[in-house]
Amino acid sequence: MANGSKMSRRNFMQQSALMAAAFAGAGSILPGSAQAAREKELNILCWEGYNSAQVLDPFRTKTGATVKAESLTNDPTMINRLRAGETNVWDLINVNNPWARKVMFPEKLIKPLDRARFEPFFDKMMPEFKPPYKWAMDDSGTELLGMAQRFGPYSFVVNTDKVSRATAEDQGWNLWNDAANDGKYGILESDDWNVFCICCIAGFDPFKTHSDEEVAKFTETAKRVFKGAKVVGDIATMNQSLVAGEIDFHLTGGTYSASPARADGHPEIRGITPKTGPMAGGKGGISWIEITSTVNNPELSPLAADFLEYVQSPEMSHTVAFAEGTFNPVSQMGNPDCFKLFTKEELDAIQWDSLAEEMSRSVEYDIVPDYDKLLDIMTAAKREASGG
Amino acid sequence: MALSQGTRSAIPVILFLLAGFAAPLMAVIWFSFMPPRSFSFAGTPTLENYATIFESTSYISFLWSLGLAVVTVVLLAAICYPVAYGLVRVFGKWATLLTLLFTIPLFVSENIRLYGWVLFLIKNGVLLGSLKSLFGLQLESMLFTVPAIVLGMVYVYLPFMLFPMTLGISMVPNETRDAAFDLGATRWQVFKEVELPLSMPGVVIGFLLTFVLAVGSIAEAKVLGGQSVIPITHDIEIAFTYSQNWPLGSALAVLLMLVVGTLVVLALRRFDLDTFLGRR
Repeated sequence: MANGSKMSRRNFMQQSALMAAAFAGAGSILPGSAQAAREKELNILCWEGYNSAQVLDPFRTKTGATVKAESLTNDPTMINRLRAGETNVWDLINVNNPWARKVMFPEKLIKPLDRARFEPFFDKMMPEFKPPYKWAMDDSGTELLGMAQRFGPYSFVVNTDKVSRATAEDQGWNLWNDAANDGKYGILESDDWNVFCICCIAGFDPFKTHSDEEVAKFTETAKRVFKGAKVVGDIATMNQSLVAGEIDFHLTGGTYSASPARADGHPEIRGITPKTGPMAGGKGGISWIEITSTVNNPELSPLAADFLEYVQSPEMSHTVAFAEGTFNPVSQMGNPDCFKLFTKEELDAIQWDSLAEEMSRSVEYDIVPDYDKLLDIMTAAKREASGG
Repeated sequence: MALSQGTRSAIPVILFLLAGFAAPLMAVIWFSFMPPRSFSFAGTPTLENYATIFESTSYISFLWSLGLAVVTVVLLAAICYPVAYGLVRVFGKWATLLTLLFTIPLFVSENIRLYGWVLFLIKNGVLLGSLKSLFGLQLESMLFTVPAIVLGMVYVYLPFMLFPMTLGISMVPNETRDAAFDLGATRWQVFKEVELPLSMPGVVIGFLLTFVLAVGSIAEAKVLGGQSVIPITHDIEIAFTYSQNWPLGSALAVLLMLVVGTLVVLALRRFDLDTFLGRR
């Protein structure tokens, strides 16, 4: 018996030695194979849509590459992933307009694109994207930092059966300054945008450094707005609550968040851009434009640029616009070959009828210099609203 | 120099635990001492994050988490003990089927089950819509309120209280009960003097399990509560996402671990599991 157990222990040791050798072998092989694999590997950090099978599968089939995409729903988190050292993981990053030009390029987190190869695509986009397109260029205007595709106005959403579009556009942010509306609205859990919206409700431009007086006003407004909210939640919760009649309107929203409900047969759910507001030029709305850039990865996959080109085709642009999750206009709709792919229902879902008007009434999303301070105040306000 | 056979055999497991359990925990603890909004382990250690927490209103979130967990545990104890008793002593052959019915929902993601409750509770939803169309009753929905959160927590954590309790009750020997009855004890006396004390290991394990899970819950307050309550876990999530303040999030997590750890240790002192299980 004792002998037997000795034997089995010896066998075990032999097995372990073999396994250790196998691991060591694998260790010496892996780095080399990883290098070679970058030719057939692409990692994308993006907002949802670009990670959908509809967009990725045809590219996988075409190139035979392993394409991985991770979707997140706020820009700061994605950028901090790169700052925390993940530049050697990702090949493409898809975030909103100001980050490439103002943060990621100066911090060397992204690489410029080949202008000769990519600038012609901007010629085919809608007129406001004509090259050199501000948000795709660096400060000096010489480097092309990314490609534009999805965009949209993003202020708030109403159920037009409860509050008419005209009333909502006229009242604008003051809907939240009317105590009679307490308990009738929700707030989308999109905290960076909620900071912008609360500044607008408080009556000042979000995209600047704020005075002590404005910060005090922001604090008071954030407390009041969160206290009066019936529900704070994700897009599905907001749309469901609007449709069911739990709420009449919600803060932070637009085509991006309302389009799934509209496409689902609820045209009464509508993104609203206020006619006037506290932003530059008296504008009342805020819009976003996504810019997709190549990451400053020491071993950037050659497929990164190919993918950017691939999503520019009329067919793929239409797929991106209606990829799973949310539905959005794309700059490529300026190309008649792309525009004709959109059905009437799809155009209704993305509020094509008022898109140009809404974009003209909106300022473009920008960086809030004292964002950290305002976000902390808002987070506390949200918590204190639950304090009874 | 020479390690014992046992220690040597344990080395792989020890290494695995160090790398997979202790190291991430140490990383969180170390990060809680890094300067606010930094992303590196190399900063100068500071107590700033803890100071920020103590100066802030974070206590509201801690109190909500602990309060909701206590309410959940108390309600679950009241609901689960009779059910567990029934499963062991009353339902007979139906017990297996019932156990299965309690287990099956565990195979469905918690979020999906909670969204199911949203559809059930929402205005014009399954409950209120049916009441309206069948009886013309128009009631306010309870969705996005504290009771809705408690309902969700009780629903989600029910199996974690029920099964340890069932085990605890099944550990009470029938002979002991019979002996108590033979000696003239009333039903109440048998329950109070024999069954409850002897089933305590299961009850205490159920309490601890559900309490620890409930303190760490987040989805119920988000989905059913519509964030009308911000539990501490949600504060931690905000710190790691929108705020991008990993050190603050780590400090909140460390404090939560300390609070929960202290409570569990205190509970275990009061109810010594080893004594219950008859090892001493």
